[in-house]
Amino acid sequence: MMRDSPALATALAIRARELTKRYGDMLAVDHLNLDVHAGEFFGLLGPNGSGKTSTIHMLSTLIRPTGGTAHIAGHDVSNDGVKVRAAIGVVFQESALDRNLSAAENLRFAGLLYDLPRAEIKRRSDELLALFGLTDRRDKPVASFSGGMRRALDIARGVIHRPQVLFLDEPTIGLDLPNRKKIWRFIENLRAETGMTVFLTTHYLEEASECDRVAFIKSGRIVQSGPPHELVRRLGAFVIEIEADDTDRIAAELAPRLGHAMMDGERICFRFNGDAAQLAALQTEFADRIGALRWRKPNLNDVFLWVNETSADCESPAHTPSRDATLQR
Amino acid sequence: MTYRPILAVIEREIVRLFRQKSRLLSAMVRPMIWLFVIGAGFDAMLGQGGGSGGDGASYQYFLVPGVLGMSMLFGAMLAALATVYDKESGVMRMLVVAPFEHYWIVVAKTLSAAIAAAIQAVLVLILLALLGYLSKDLSPPLLVAGIAATSLASASTGMLIAACTKTLDNFAVMMNLVIFPMFFLSGSLYPIQHLPDALRIVAMINPYSYGVDLLKHALPVSGSVNFSTDFSLGLNLAVLLGFSALATAIACARFSRETAYEPLIHMLSRKRGE
Repeated sequence: MMRDSPALATALAIRARELTKRYGDMLAVDHLNLDVHAGEFFGLLGPNGSGKTSTIHMLSTLIRPTGGTAHIAGHDVSNDGVKVRAAIGVVFQESALDRNLSAAENLRFAGLLYDLPRAEIKRRSDELLALFGLTDRRDKPVASFSGGMRRALDIARGVIHRPQVLFLDEPTIGLDLPNRKKIWRFIENLRAETGMTVFLTTHYLEEASECDRVAFIKSGRIVQSGPPHELVRRLGAFVIEIEADDTDRIAAELAPRLGHAMMDGERICFRFNGDAAQLAALQTEFADRIGALRWRKPNLNDVFLWVNETSADCESPAHTPSRDATLQR
Repeated sequence: MTYRPILAVIEREIVRLFRQKSRLLSAMVRPMIWLFVIGAGFDAMLGQGGGSGGDGASYQYFLVPGVLGMSMLFGAMLAALATVYDKESGVMRMLVVAPFEHYWIVVAKTLSAAIAAAIQAVLVLILLALLGYLSKDLSPPLLVAGIAATSLASASTGMLIAACTKTLDNFAVMMNLVIFPMFFLSGSLYPIQHLPDALRIVAMINPYSYGVDLLKHALPVSGSVNFSTDFSLGLNLAVLLGFSALATAIACARFSRETAYEPLIHMLSRKRGE
């Protein structure tokens, strides 16, 4: 599936092979392989400094890869930057708007940069402002906008030329919950209307559960990928949380039975695939040594925590048993 | 790249020029301060009512091409240096993801800074005409050429600096170490031929001197030998256009080499912890 073929290359919206970015001694992106299909909603997830933004910047031709290749809609990011940029829209973490211009003026400026005729820009601006709930702000300067409105306008700015692939780098960062929800509704509407491929980075994991597929990136490497529900299912049937004073000893004692423990202060978390009877037995056995024992369904957040914990262990050979859960390729 | 993106950049610059009233106002006031405060002061000091040229010509009239040039030097440099603000504020992000080679950004920005400067020059010119400071011997074609070439040369100087600068922490430094020296050592305030050797050589290296001299050709001080021009018309035009082309080429090369832009991208993203 990962072998290169020209037909596959054009059918894919994004294809990266061994994509690498090095800053001095630091490997920001480390031989990354990635396939995103046309129309897919793809999420690249990972902690700060894991290489998400460097990846987006390479895929959008803003920085040059140190090694490897990447194609967007069939165009090479290293040699065909102009064609790649014509096929993509990019919404950066930081605003890309002129605060002194109005919403409509910003959209006109963006549209002209993509060589759209003025009448067409006017038509699309009106559509986008309506879609993003900004119609009544169209002639107000961006400086007077709230963070949520600015972000909405920035996304409208990023899609005015109807790109095949839209890159969203942390689109909801710094926004409060109602505004984050609004932005997601806009993106949903946009996808429903245009069917464009969306490549997203975020560290608000609950938001990524809407993605068709996600990949977890850690120290520039993809450590796990798949559809969110699949990853959650693969993690285990339950997550057990144990509160105790002597967490280290209990973790060590349970490790042979429950596998690697996630330490979280006073709490230990295990993945658990057994049934309720086993849980009850566990509870009885440790009743006098623990403060509390809870179990719950896992979510994408747990996948993220486990990816972080276990892939950190990969660096120390002592914990190799946990690798099976994290290695995809 | 076709014309629409270039027009978009120019249009934005003009909208900003007229929206930033204080910028426009100071562009009008600055030359007038030099003309009336420095000019009148020197006249009073040197020759009591118009003898400072030694042959009856007023120093104030000598200053007219210089203050007209000043409106372009400052207007173009400030517009071009605002590119550094664009780098920081986000508009540059819009430009770098747009589908054309990055050197077009430099070309478009240079043109827009030059046009903004020319507009300010025309406004100052109107002001000078209303105040009666325009020479009767002025040559309209030379004036048009002088405004165009001086605006372009000032804009390309500014773009060259902007392309080599990452932040505007040192904006005041630019003002004091680049713009003011270019103005002082240009023949705007004194004829180059009367300067001491060292200063004269610096003035002859300064491309802006040739812009001021071209404006002196266009706005001659009638009957004065001491206030005459320093260079020939052809030399002025050749230096201004040659320098503009060279500076723009260097700025383009510097800007389209992605490694030059990369530290900025990297810095911007790391500031946010990624």
